[in-house]
Amino acid sequence: MALTGLAIYKLLPKTNCKECGQATCLAFAMQIAAGKAGLDTCPHVSAEARETLSAASEPPVALVRIGAGENALEIGNETVLFRHDKRFVHPTGIGIIVPDTLDDGVLAEQIGRVNRLSFDRLGQIHGVDLLAVRHESGDPERYVRAVRAAAVHTPLNLVLLCAEPGTAERALEAVGERKPLLHAAHAENLEAMVALARRYDLALAVRGRNLEELAELSGRAVQAGHKQLVLDSGARDVGRVLADQTQIRRLAVNKRFRPFGFPTICLAAGENAVLDAAVYIGKYAAVVLLETADPADLLPLITWRLNVYTDPQKPIAIEAKVYEVGNPGPEDPVFLTTNFSLTYFCVRGDVEAARVPAYILPVDTDGTSVLTAWAAGKMTPEKIGTFLESSGITKRVQHRRLIIPGGLAVLSGKLREVTGWEVLVGPRESAAIPAFLREYWSR
Amino acid sequence: DGQLADPLLRRVTVSLVPPEPGETADDWGRLALALARETGGEVRADLAVLRELPAVLRARDWTVTADLGTAGGPEHEVVAVQPGRAAGPAYGVAVDLGTTTVAAQLVDLESGRVLGTAGTYNRQAAYGDDVISRIIFAGEHSGGRRRLQEAVVNTVNSLLAELRRLCGIERDAVRAAVCAGNPTMSHLFLGVDPAHIRLEPYTPAANFWPPCRADDLGLDLHPRAPVHVLPGVASYLGGDITGGLTASGFGAEGRTALFVDIGTNGEMVLGDGDWLIGCSCSAGPAFEGSGITCGMRAVSGAIERVGATPGGFEVVCRAIGDGPPAGVCGSGLIAALAGLRRAGVINRAGQFEPDLETPRFRSGDAGEEFVLVWARETAHGRDIVLTGADLQNLLRAKAAVYAGLRTLLAAVNLDQQDISRVYIAGGFGRFLNLREAVAIGMLPDIAPERYTFVGNSSLRGARAALLSGRRLAEIGETARRITYLELGEGTRFMEEYVSALFLPHTDMGLFPSVRECE
Repeated sequence: MALTGLAIYKLLPKTNCKECGQATCLAFAMQIAAGKAGLDTCPHVSAEARETLSAASEPPVALVRIGAGENALEIGNETVLFRHDKRFVHPTGIGIIVPDTLDDGVLAEQIGRVNRLSFDRLGQIHGVDLLAVRHESGDPERYVRAVRAAAVHTPLNLVLLCAEPGTAERALEAVGERKPLLHAAHAENLEAMVALARRYDLALAVRGRNLEELAELSGRAVQAGHKQLVLDSGARDVGRVLADQTQIRRLAVNKRFRPFGFPTICLAAGENAVLDAAVYIGKYAAVVLLETADPADLLPLITWRLNVYTDPQKPIAIEAKVYEVGNPGPEDPVFLTTNFSLTYFCVRGDVEAARVPAYILPVDTDGTSVLTAWAAGKMTPEKIGTFLESSGITKRVQHRRLIIPGGLAVLSGKLREVTGWEVLVGPRESAAIPAFLREYWSR
Repeated sequence: DGQLADPLLRRVTVSLVPPEPGETADDWGRLALALARETGGEVRADLAVLRELPAVLRARDWTVTADLGTAGGPEHEVVAVQPGRAAGPAYGVAVDLGTTTVAAQLVDLESGRVLGTAGTYNRQAAYGDDVISRIIFAGEHSGGRRRLQEAVVNTVNSLLAELRRLCGIERDAVRAAVCAGNPTMSHLFLGVDPAHIRLEPYTPAANFWPPCRADDLGLDLHPRAPVHVLPGVASYLGGDITGGLTASGFGAEGRTALFVDIGTNGEMVLGDGDWLIGCSCSAGPAFEGSGITCGMRAVSGAIERVGATPGGFEVVCRAIGDGPPAGVCGSGLIAALAGLRRAGVINRAGQFEPDLETPRFRSGDAGEEFVLVWARETAHGRDIVLTGADLQNLLRAKAAVYAGLRTLLAAVNLDQQDISRVYIAGGFGRFLNLREAVAIGMLPDIAPERYTFVGNSSLRGARAALLSGRRLAEIGETARRITYLELGEGTRFMEEYVSALFLPHTDMGLFPSVRECE
């Protein structure tokens, strides 16, 4: 089990010297417990405490890099079984498999298709991360040629799916500099593969026939001096993979079972490959390899990955945009509020209760309530003015009358000045909106 | 009462050997050496003291009385020197700079005796009821900061005048002051820019304040009297809390304790004296009667007890002073919430049950409301009611307090049963009925004997520091040790808050004693 903040605090020097960048030793201990700080920034920690803590503060899942330089893919460092407990850290690396049996021209074309698998999601480009070259031909020459071609045609990080140490060695002579993930060491080739991975200093996938064998092989690889490992339980059926993935993550996080303290790799093929891959992304896979390069297959997976790996430790907020209640027309009232979900749904419920079609405009206040946002300077007349313009409400109503929360009455003068809208100060509590509308809003 | 060990200002009389021909020691060197022998530490003086020193030393044949100021360390500073033996003791004043009310206490610095206490409203209220409005006023109006500073200094001066009149003391006899307030109050009192206290990432100008002189601030004390402002921790956790914590004996038992100030800012600190973690949960002023339709402060005429029969047909209220009631104070509001829930008038979500048949339940201008006292029985001839919005307001305030406490516990992986003592501070705390506060889910359901009421601990903290430099240093140590938890970060507080928006809580397992009653 991981140490709690208090347990770590008891081992710290308690100087509260702030040299670690935290205000107190307890704050520093809590950061360590949360996996957000290492022990290194504390200049006063005793050797004894360092020893106790370094074991405890070691991440339950090791950080592993695939690729070289700035564009290397980082996986691992995960600490939870459910994202709402903290967050999932490193998004699953998605890779496409190309076989070495393809003719040169076809192979180049296929790699080109993989390169183009990138999409705009929420203003950012997200794409696939890996190109995996699979040794199917049985001909080492052919494999090395395919790997060379892949290295030339793609900027993506590489995976060598080749369990023959001799062939893998020749491929690495060509592309070792790019630090591909080597897949896979198994019971028969482990020593040779570990030696190769050590020589080129790269991540090595270890494949067992089941979890027991996987644990044994992973232990042997570590004993042989290699710690850049990626685990493959050998399962290919979605039910079995789900069970194995869960066991590996559980044992690593809850029991600190060191042989499973590494990221995992899953292969999804066949008719339901996309659905299977979606399961693996949701359930702990650090790398998922697919055989399809169809954009229609990849777009949902990339979107899903983005959602699963979003940081849930953010205020509960709704999107800041125009919301309609009923079927409002150009003469109907406009209510201003914040995008804190509790606040928004209170207002919405009470506007609905008034049985008057209306617009609700929740300003983006980072999910804080009306008074909290006002106190923290996140609900200023300028910001509201900008939102009135950008939200498009000016095109949807003909009047220029804005109803603001009673708690913000103090803003009304400045708001009128800045926006040019007539400002109606509504009731302090949204429960009084129906009465307010009866009295002050006539069509 | 004997002599105090180490008040912030002590009076020392020394007789020096006059200089003889051939000696080269200067006047100050001669005095400093004698004073250093008395205090056992180093002694400093500024130019103002040295300017008049030669005449002062010679006026009574080299016998002088020096006022030595300290901040708890080995160093002493000569605040003033007068010829001969001192006439009468030196006095000090402890001040609690509350957002709404300011209290001051005059203390004899030799015996530690309290001569008198006075309180009044903070004149800053003219510029805003809460700290946020005042920060905004300070920034948005020209001279705003200066006006706020003058307002609070004038408030303190009016209290000083009252205390001097009461105790028959001259202005110059009051020679030291310690003030305790929340960070915003400390900034405004010292005339420091408070703008960034309320803006992300919520940074105060300083948590520790250098001592200053009374005449720098315009305080009506001896003009050179040192004025100390107690140190804070972060933007919403200030010297009123660090002082109160130290003065209440928090953590002395070495077991996990909780300190809660039930007021607008809802500050709380958890720890065992060694480690300390604190936060401010912004409960709002509902329990001080503010923002509630018929709410009022706990003064004569305020309802403090409420009982109701099932269905809400009969309601019995008791007001402070036993006269006809005029409104409801914080303890009455808590009692009403607990009583109406028990009587089945409101449900767990704090809403009125829809099919109540009592005539006390009706539809008013601001939605549904419940009549606690009919007009004919009140002091002002109007019905005293609780509206649906009032109930939600109270629910939010109590939820913020409990959620703050749960968030602190979660940060250090402790359970509420691990808390072996709870200190309840704040003016409000005196009127609090523990059983009802637990019944509505504001305070943890632990053994009642673990609770201690400490009242206005901020004023007590200021007095403790005034009477002991060691205590002042200790308060500084406490402030340095507290880890401030920003409740806006992460989702924990919000989840706890939503779970606490129930009577008493969504998780009934946390309130076993309440469950037994139902």
